[in-house]
Amino acid sequence: MIELRNVTKRYGLSTFGVRDLNFEVRDQEFLVIYGPSGAGKSTTLKLLAGIIQPTAGDLVRDGESLLKVAPESRDMAMAFENYALYSHMSVYENLAFPLRAKKMTKQEIDERVQRTARMLQISDLLDRRPGFLSGGQRQRVALGRAIIRPASLYLLDEPIGHLDAKLRHRMRGELKAMSVDLRATIVLVTTASREALALGDRIAILREGHLQQIGTPNEVYYQPANEFVASFVGEPPMSFLGIEPTSENGQLYFNMQDCASRLRVPPQLAQHLNGETAGYRLGVRASEITVAQQQDAGHCVPGQVFIIEQMGYCNIISAKVGNGLVRVVTDSTVTAKRNETIWLSLDAEHMHLFYQHKAICHPTRFVDEGRANAAGMNAR
Amino acid sequence: MLQQRSSTPIEILRYALIVVILTASLFPIAWLIITSFKPADDIMVSPPRFIFTPTLDNYTYALHKANFMHFIQNTLYVAVVSTVFVIVLSSLASYSFARYNPGGGNILFFILTTKMFPAIAVVLPYFLIFKEIGDTAVGKALGIGLDRPGALIVSYTMFNLPFAIWLMVSFFQDIPRELEDSARLDGYNRLQVLWRVVLPLAAPGIAVTAIFCLLFSWNEFLFAYILTRDAARTITVGVESFFTLRGILWGPVAAAATISVAPMLVFVLILQRYMVRGLTFGAVRG
Repeated sequence: MIELRNVTKRYGLSTFGVRDLNFEVRDQEFLVIYGPSGAGKSTTLKLLAGIIQPTAGDLVRDGESLLKVAPESRDMAMAFENYALYSHMSVYENLAFPLRAKKMTKQEIDERVQRTARMLQISDLLDRRPGFLSGGQRQRVALGRAIIRPASLYLLDEPIGHLDAKLRHRMRGELKAMSVDLRATIVLVTTASREALALGDRIAILREGHLQQIGTPNEVYYQPANEFVASFVGEPPMSFLGIEPTSENGQLYFNMQDCASRLRVPPQLAQHLNGETAGYRLGVRASEITVAQQQDAGHCVPGQVFIIEQMGYCNIISAKVGNGLVRVVTDSTVTAKRNETIWLSLDAEHMHLFYQHKAICHPTRFVDEGRANAAGMNAR
Repeated sequence: MLQQRSSTPIEILRYALIVVILTASLFPIAWLIITSFKPADDIMVSPPRFIFTPTLDNYTYALHKANFMHFIQNTLYVAVVSTVFVIVLSSLASYSFARYNPGGGNILFFILTTKMFPAIAVVLPYFLIFKEIGDTAVGKALGIGLDRPGALIVSYTMFNLPFAIWLMVSFFQDIPRELEDSARLDGYNRLQVLWRVVLPLAAPGIAVTAIFCLLFSWNEFLFAYILTRDAARTITVGVESFFTLRGILWGPVAAAATISVAPMLVFVLILQRYMVRGLTFGAVRG
């Protein structure tokens, strides 16, 4: 287990790579570091690898500080975002390079190189120099060089981001299989929400060098810690509506901005309100609501159709509700015209409540499901 | 759309220009080689004779009577040893400048200032210094002193080092840092990384620098003229010795010059294939 303790990396006087990071990489876990570009994801990997030293804080592996351990002695393997291939060597030699450092026999090196090349579908490229490969092929060589040898920790910096869709899908499976079969500990950096959710045993979400949340895919998906996590994890992003709690005849309501209809506040939500009227927002995922052409008991909030995106297996309708935009995933058979009025099944009971961008309440249904799934994952 | 072929007058002009430039640059070499095979009577006559009986007399004279072989040995020794010194020192120095920039650029600039005065300004101080050192036990043991090759090796190393460092810094800067980081993680320590990754990638730069240093040392005249007499005399000074009081021995001069051009030509041709930039092509994305 590797712990990051208050790790800060500062460049120059005021530029921060990462700030006060606290989390641990557990043994045999697949940890995904996820965030927008410039969030400090690569910096975190390089700190783990020992390529850069933290300005403050400590990295501890099994109780011992890693700061004095040179990169070559940390027993970690890394695939770089920009590939970092040895351009004066053939693909074969690139793959064999880390094995030669381990003083493996010729036969063993050859076996491993051939096996890794087969897995990455680069067997016919072994004699070439990196300069004569396409971007996707180079990325596979870079990934191959990282995973070719046993290592206590694999650090993969967007290792499959530049592959074509089909190969990326396959490599995702290979990486997942590698983590399960070899019981490898993997830290993978990505900017793709789908990749993060599909691969990670846990996901650490970074923003501007700060850790926003770390947890299982279900936790970060169903119980996002703040609006940033909620909007960044899952596709399409969560929709937010600005609301104002009001009281009428002893019953609490959420008034939506610029919208005639209001939402009844369920009692379990009411206890989280602190008397303020500003700063509240409700969040709802596109897959958690439904639409209807006509108003009925379940669909009582009107919205104007803004955009329809056709994804093949589903349609995503963006509808204006008040001055907010709500996205809904519908069956691909559902069609609507722009500016047409549709009815949404918005219900505060099934929505996430945020106060000043921090989550204060999640819908119970999803909290329970999240826990159940998380427990199942841990048991496995 | 098909590209139109260049019009004929421009083509003609292009080839005419090529012929003029080639003639201008190749004529002295052609004259040199032709003259070296001419009998003494056929040189320096007007009109020039292009038909003559070739002779090896000039080569025989230069090699045996004037002991030119000895000058070549001296030159080769001085040039190669000083070049090796320069390459070893400058590659380590420029790697360090490229990666860690010690002194924030001031030291690098200071190194360049040593090239800012003419060679003639230092040759007399050098003469005095080597005269003193040559009398000491250290000078004798290391072969440093007047009319000893060590004096030239030290001088040439001093003179080539700043230039070599400046040339190679940019080559090292072109090598992506991630390659070194990656090699560290692959299990190699700093020195192994330098040896197995950085230096192979810097090979074109090293080759270019070596060529420049060797050519400079091979062709250097002033220091060799002042600091040597007989034992350590080099080719350039040797050629000059054919300019006697009784006249210039054009035949032997041409033969000696031809001989001295040959090794450098071969050397440059061999190293030429390393002189391609872009060995790091394909190392990193974009």
